[in-house]
Amino acid sequence: MDELIYTLKQQIIEALNLEDMTPEDIDENAALFGEGLGLDSIDALELIVLMEKNYGIKLKDPNQGKEIFKSVAVMADYISKNRTK
Amino acid sequence: MKPILVTGTGVVSAIGLGKAQTLEALLNGRSGVGPLQYLKTGHKEFPVGEVKLTDAEMRTHLGLAEDAISTRTALMGMLALEEALQDAGLTAEMLPKVGFISGTTVGGMDMSEQFYLDFVNSEAHKEYIAAHDCGNCTEMTANHFGKFAFVTTLSTACSSAANAIILGANMIRCGEADIVVVGGSECITKFHLNGFNSLMILDTEPCRPFDATRNGLNLGEGAAYLVLESEESTKRRGAKAQALLSGYGNACDAFHQTASSPEGEGAYLAMKEALELAEIQPSDIDYINAHGTGTPNNDTSESQAMIRLFDGKVPPVSSTKPFTGHTTSASGSIEAVFCILALQHGFLPVNLNWSQPMENGIVPVSQPAKKMLKHVLCNAFGFGGNDSSLLLSSVKAHEPVEGPIHTTNPETCYILSAKQISIQQPLSEDWMQAPVIYEEPFVLSIDPNFKNYISSIEARRMGKILKRAVATSKEALNASGLDTVDATITGTGYGCIENTEFFLDALSREGEQLLKPTYFMQSTHNTVSSLVAIQMKNYSYNVTYAHKGISFDSALQDAWLQFRLGKIESALVGGHDEMTETFYHILKKGGVMGKGDERCGEAAVSVVLASASRCEEVRRSHPEMKPLCKLSGFEMLHQPTTNTLKDAVTRMLQSAGKSLADVDYILTGISGDHGNDAAYLQETKILFGDKPLLKYKHLFGESFTASGIGLYVAAQCLKAGRVPASLFVDSMEISDRQPKCILLYNRSDGKNVSLTILEA
Repeated sequence: MDELIYTLKQQIIEALNLEDMTPEDIDENAALFGEGLGLDSIDALELIVLMEKNYGIKLKDPNQGKEIFKSVAVMADYISKNRTK
Repeated sequence: MKPILVTGTGVVSAIGLGKAQTLEALLNGRSGVGPLQYLKTGHKEFPVGEVKLTDAEMRTHLGLAEDAISTRTALMGMLALEEALQDAGLTAEMLPKVGFISGTTVGGMDMSEQFYLDFVNSEAHKEYIAAHDCGNCTEMTANHFGKFAFVTTLSTACSSAANAIILGANMIRCGEADIVVVGGSECITKFHLNGFNSLMILDTEPCRPFDATRNGLNLGEGAAYLVLESEESTKRRGAKAQALLSGYGNACDAFHQTASSPEGEGAYLAMKEALELAEIQPSDIDYINAHGTGTPNNDTSESQAMIRLFDGKVPPVSSTKPFTGHTTSASGSIEAVFCILALQHGFLPVNLNWSQPMENGIVPVSQPAKKMLKHVLCNAFGFGGNDSSLLLSSVKAHEPVEGPIHTTNPETCYILSAKQISIQQPLSEDWMQAPVIYEEPFVLSIDPNFKNYISSIEARRMGKILKRAVATSKEALNASGLDTVDATITGTGYGCIENTEFFLDALSREGEQLLKPTYFMQSTHNTVSSLVAIQMKNYSYNVTYAHKGISFDSALQDAWLQFRLGKIESALVGGHDEMTETFYHILKKGGVMGKGDERCGEAAVSVVLASASRCEEVRRSHPEMKPLCKLSGFEMLHQPTTNTLKDAVTRMLQSAGKSLADVDYILTGISGDHGNDAAYLQETKILFGDKPLLKYKHLFGESFTASGIGLYVAAQCLKAGRVPASLFVDSMEISDRQPKCILLYNRSDGKNVSLTILEA
């Protein structure tokens, strides 16, 4: 799981173009949206693309993202249970 | 305001070619949305509102040759323009006194997306490269019918056509023209179908605006134009009005690049302004044609704005998008024509596909109804929160007022500050002492440290054009002594071309899957202007022009008109273009850029202007701050003859209280493009005799919005009271004569000319 979390952080930094950030800067339990990193709806869409591209998980409804993208840890948990690649 | 008359209308959309078919469909509830037939895409799952004609059929209808260079956006534009001109009784002979303003975002993207890899790799289809430009589509449409007096292109995403109508109205109110044809055109492309899909806002079912189950929009396409005319002109030529444009408003939601604020601030302000300008009460409104796209976000936000403005007593509302799909840039004028038909024929257009009320939303007109209408509002909102609202009225509401329509302020405006980022030292005037000389034909701007202006989390989605726009805007505002501005107006030839290229490249090489929403959302030209407003939390007037080498000039003209109307006291006018190596080579291949010895690429400029009274306020609070110069005249012309140019120069100088003898220098756009440079030399000789000529593009490079750099250069010379030797075209003419008055002469593309007078 730790390895997946670390990889996921790297993928998030790349997909969202978070300049100056390293995986170490992201707390896997902190909120990605709102208070935490301060991401928005477009970032959520980028994360949906990221999940489909890297893990073969297809989300039909952007609202599903609200639960899945709560934190990196929650996201990693969802990926490990639903990944098709 | 005194109402402006609408004396002609023309429309094409999914529900038909021309007004007769359109009216029949609206009255009978016949939708044009259905399975995809014409666009070549793998996304068959999305219903769309296509115009039921192939490009070839449109060409035949228009009498164009089979191999004529044309884009679908231009073809649809011609179909609608043909009807509007005929309707108003405007013949080719009359067009040299008529303006044409069109809105589009897609431009020639239908061809660019088909031929992109050819553009990159071969010589094939290179004749379509120039057609990518939004302004090129506008000119293609216009030139089919004759020679209009001036042309320009608004590009504020889905409110483009509405903003074209607003500009036309401002021109008539200023007395710049008696007749202006305004509207917009947009075809469906794979590019934006996939783009909207990447934003997950397309519904796989027919769209259901304001319904509890709404789940996104259906894309549509089409075009519509309105002939706007002053009352005096209609009397002179005996033209009959179909409706009145009695008010309009434009505001920026300043919230997010693709989402509307929950409370619909921009929408509220735009509608409120339209009512105020028309001097009528909310209770006078009989119908609202809502933007109503069918996305959960738009309909919630727009409902809130309407409930607030009408204090809960919202008049009948409908969205006609279930008829046509969302016709994006053209929606403002297409739906304005629907409103005019409703005013003329006394009916409420129905909101198809509605059945269940949404939470905290309005309840739309769900059954066809006859109703005499006097005043109606027509909303069009765009990405970035570029929100506009038009107030159209029945001719029966018209009470003719004697006297001329224009009530302009003779007072002029001042340039308080100007900042640039280019191949010279960024955000500095060092070039006046020691210009950097570059030899490479393709030049990229030198960037300052953007961390001084934008946090890295904010910068995550910003391309270089956006960072430069924010940096120059903040620096210019800071140097102006103002805290905020009444208008943010931007010109950009190609907008965020880097992200557009990423998206086009991915679409062409990898197909219609897993496309990045970030690339798409940056691809609209108005991203720059709306981002500046979001960064500065500025809810005021906000528009973007995208018309080749007169994009910045068009933005300046917009501000100039509004100062004269007393509509604004201050404005931030920007000219921003970035370039990529790939697009530079494509544009060079297409003969658009890099001609002769040109050095070209990109540049950014932001200028703050203010009225005399606002300048006075600044002087009181910041005694050390003085304006750079005064803007005392501006004019833009399309394909002028030497005689029309001469007339324009005389007229401008006269209204500025000057004569040619007062002009010290002529600042030209001489760039190293030998053909255009020769024309500059020849024409300036005829127009201005032996006035010393200046140039700046050899130092700053050529770019689509380079004329903004020209304004910056002239303003800095007037402020400094000297012209650096490096600017003189002829080294024999170098002098230390103090400039008091500089005339800027921009001749772009051999077709469009702008003239600007600046005074110390």
